[in-house]
Amino acid sequence: MNSHPYIKTYMAGVVLPSLFLLVVLLGFIVARFIFEAPIPIERMIIFPMAVVPNLWGLWNVLYIAVVGKRRLPLGAWGALLPALLIPGGLALQEFVGASLFTPIEGLVVFPVIAAVYYLIWKHAIGFFNSLVGVGI
Amino acid sequence: MNSHDDQQLRSLLKRSLPPVDNVEPRRDLWPDMLRRIHARGHRAVRFDLLDWILAGLVAASVLAFPALIPGILYHL
Repeated sequence: MNSHPYIKTYMAGVVLPSLFLLVVLLGFIVARFIFEAPIPIERMIIFPMAVVPNLWGLWNVLYIAVVGKRRLPLGAWGALLPALLIPGGLALQEFVGASLFTPIEGLVVFPVIAAVYYLIWKHAIGFFNSLVGVGI
Repeated sequence: MNSHDDQQLRSLLKRSLPPVDNVEPRRDLWPDMLRRIHARGHRAVRFDLLDWILAGLVAASVLAFPALIPGILYHL
């Protein structure tokens, strides 16, 4: 019996960015306070801390609930997520009055992030999904 | 309500509720759980050619343009 599949799916999606947040946070803190890079971390950290993990969880639920039944591979579905995240990150930058990357840089970096997402979603999220018994 | 009523109520409750004899499971359930975890056969992580190509391109991009790193980290 597989009870609460969507809660499990959400948790499987959230676990990796939540863990990786420690690395990201450490990187930004070192850059900001040791190398004195002009990154307003306190205004921007909300995005990798709250928006990214929750979107990963919801994206995974959406895949298991709807998209996966149409035979779209999980990796390809994951690679689409930066198409939401990059404009979201740019909008947040605008909102908090910070600047980590420009829209042009966002466009340039999109294929690289999409490739990273493809690999992570195909292998890591696929593994976590199979671990909790969904999406095998 | 006097003590007689109390006793009567107590006996009525005892009669209506089934006795709970043994709440412990009859045997250790953990070995079954372990067997289930191992029997499930998690998806093994196996890179195919496309994955290696993508990983190589990502690594090459990051090495060639280190300025991309904060942007990538920001979205992970």
